[in-house]
Amino acid sequence: MSSGIPIQNKLDTVDSADIVIVGNGIAGQTAAIEARRLAPDKSIVMITEQSHPTINTPALKQFAIGKLTREQLLAFPAGTERAQRIHIINGRVEEIHAQGNYVCLAGGRGFGYKSLLIATGSVPTDLPASLPGRDFDGVLTLHCLHDYLDLRRRLSEVDEAVVIGGGPHAIETVMCLLYWGIDVHWLIRSETFLPRMLDRPASDMVIERVQRAGARVYTETEAIGIVGRVGAVAGIVTNQHQLLPCQLVLVCTGTTPVTTLAKRCDLPMQHKHGILVDNQLRTSARNVYAAGDVAALQDPQTGTYAPRAQWYAAVLQGRIAAAAMTGSAQQEESFGVPWHATRLGELSMLTVGNPLQWLDSATILTDSSRGSYRRISVIDDRLVGYLSLGPTHPDGLAIKRLIDEGLSIRDIKKDLLRGEFDVRKYFSRQRTYAAQRMVITGKLPPPAQVQPAPAGRSLRETGPLAAPGTESVYPLARTAVNTDPTLNVPVHLRYTPSNTGNRWEAIQPARPVNAAAAYTQPPVSTGTLQNSESIPSESEALFFEGGISPGQETNRPPAALRVVESTLVPLPPDAPRSPSGSLWSYSTRLPALRAKRRDGQFITSHPGHTVKQILARSTEQFARSPVASAKEPERPARAYPSSSLWSYTDRHAAVKKGH
Amino acid sequence: MLRTGLKRGANVAVMLHKTLPQVAQELHACIGCNECLVACPAVNEHVTIDVLNRETLSGPISTPVARFARSCFQCGACVAPCPVGLHRDAMMMWLKVRLLRSGWRE
Repeated sequence: MSSGIPIQNKLDTVDSADIVIVGNGIAGQTAAIEARRLAPDKSIVMITEQSHPTINTPALKQFAIGKLTREQLLAFPAGTERAQRIHIINGRVEEIHAQGNYVCLAGGRGFGYKSLLIATGSVPTDLPASLPGRDFDGVLTLHCLHDYLDLRRRLSEVDEAVVIGGGPHAIETVMCLLYWGIDVHWLIRSETFLPRMLDRPASDMVIERVQRAGARVYTETEAIGIVGRVGAVAGIVTNQHQLLPCQLVLVCTGTTPVTTLAKRCDLPMQHKHGILVDNQLRTSARNVYAAGDVAALQDPQTGTYAPRAQWYAAVLQGRIAAAAMTGSAQQEESFGVPWHATRLGELSMLTVGNPLQWLDSATILTDSSRGSYRRISVIDDRLVGYLSLGPTHPDGLAIKRLIDEGLSIRDIKKDLLRGEFDVRKYFSRQRTYAAQRMVITGKLPPPAQVQPAPAGRSLRETGPLAAPGTESVYPLARTAVNTDPTLNVPVHLRYTPSNTGNRWEAIQPARPVNAAAAYTQPPVSTGTLQNSESIPSESEALFFEGGISPGQETNRPPAALRVVESTLVPLPPDAPRSPSGSLWSYSTRLPALRAKRRDGQFITSHPGHTVKQILARSTEQFARSPVASAKEPERPARAYPSSSLWSYTDRHAAVKKGH
Repeated sequence: MLRTGLKRGANVAVMLHKTLPQVAQELHACIGCNECLVACPAVNEHVTIDVLNRETLSGPISTPVARFARSCFQCGACVAPCPVGLHRDAMMMWLKVRLLRSGWRE
């Protein structure tokens, strides 16, 4: 038996498990917990090399500047694994025998599985091996908890540091160091910051803010050597013939998915910068799934496969993988377009879709007023890419929904550009229009033909994987329906991404081009509701509003032919609801919640509202409590409280004064 | 509208900022950086973000989290500092609803 496996973790009785998960990052851990919820009787084993439980890796930056303790890093409360009966094996998986359904651990131990999830994550891209001096003490690659523990110990001894890398990770590291009053030299290899996601003005804006915060930024600069003194870093030599003195070199040059297991699988597992998976996260090997940073998902806009190394994507993938592995695919969730929201120093960055990839076919609108920058890419009233930089975040997940569902943004272009997109107003208006049309045309669906919402929604079947670099075998020609307001007839659009350019083409109305269109379109389309403005039934509205709309599914089986895409469900008589009563917003606060504080007292503008009854107790409690009265006068007149961890520049100044 | 399960027939309606799936979606997107709790003027309990997130969605609600939910007055100070642009106020609203449903008493 193996010697590498600690004795307390050795499962004497279990040499196989129903579900085996490799890696205990957030994707693996979420999958394990979700699998336990879906399948209480299955045995779940997690094999990991990591010596600590799952942590909030994006919060490591806050940990680095001493704002969090190690306990606060835990992603799940301590003891979750034991409570959920998830067995942990501390070891390394060497190879996968997909034909025999078992994995080989280090030391030669075999471990059987029914479903295997690869969630091995990614490793940092290090400095080139040929770089002289990369082994000096003080050259750190920031990736995992150990790196940040190391960084925290060193911070007090450092006066100058060099950060290498041109991504969000690098900028967060720069801000961490500035927070501690350390002089920072930031080397970016390319001409602009984050060239694949940000355009020139956005990049300039970010760099200018970082420079104003106190960092020295060097674009088009690479390290060609590290100078050391008695084993420790003393400086760095750049390709611009500069010597930058420093005591710390931090490498934040991105990550690479760990695809070693894909290479060491006896069945061919397709991988190319990540293991290729379909929408159920199945790899090309049977019963093997992949999730997290290691999984390369298809972008619905471009058709290319790429990993989505973000927290939310990993959580979502873990959950969908668990549903697929347990065979109880209950929730229908689509990955949709990439969504990335983060804080770049003082600026909030949000990218949805591919804002820079539609140069030939899309209309690009930009807005750079009021200290923020927004860029939206529109093709035929459909949003395809959104980029926002500014002091506040627009609601990114709602904008993602706009793109995923291909909703028309004709009326909200300006709001989107200005960052004043009112989510609730928009979605409630969509419903009102649909209801109005129903009333005007008088074509209410006969109750017998209304398809009830399926209790268990099956995961979307996506078919076999395409080879990397080739055209995908997925039905790329998606269709969408837009209602022309002047003619009041549906205009069918076909979405055809190709190498030369992606565009929506108008096709002959009322003639479905493929099977998918036939499912989503009623046979007689006059007067009935169209796809773009459907009212989901009450239950569906509640359960699918945030993720996928019922009208979004295009691969509906022919048996479930839906004559009418959506319907109004009669409400119980005691709870009348207006069609515009969407629950989608927070940008304008509810009247009862619009509590104003005057002279330390709470005055609500609408005292009769029911929410007030609910909140009355806590509100009164607050008004009475000493905490409230004590904290009241200190409240700064800023967009965000100065106790925020992200106001580095202010802290920086304070630290400097302290010197 | 969401009718809480306070009492059958009581029909207490609560209007929420966000529906449960949206709140769940945001909870899953939470990176656990703790910014919202640092900015919060109402929290005076030792509440960690992992426990708060878990109990907002499901399971029993512990006493510190329940007290925190009671003292939250929906000022919205937690929204601006979030690096991912999430809405902790909406999540807290759900927690309050869950608290009401569970009939928690101090």
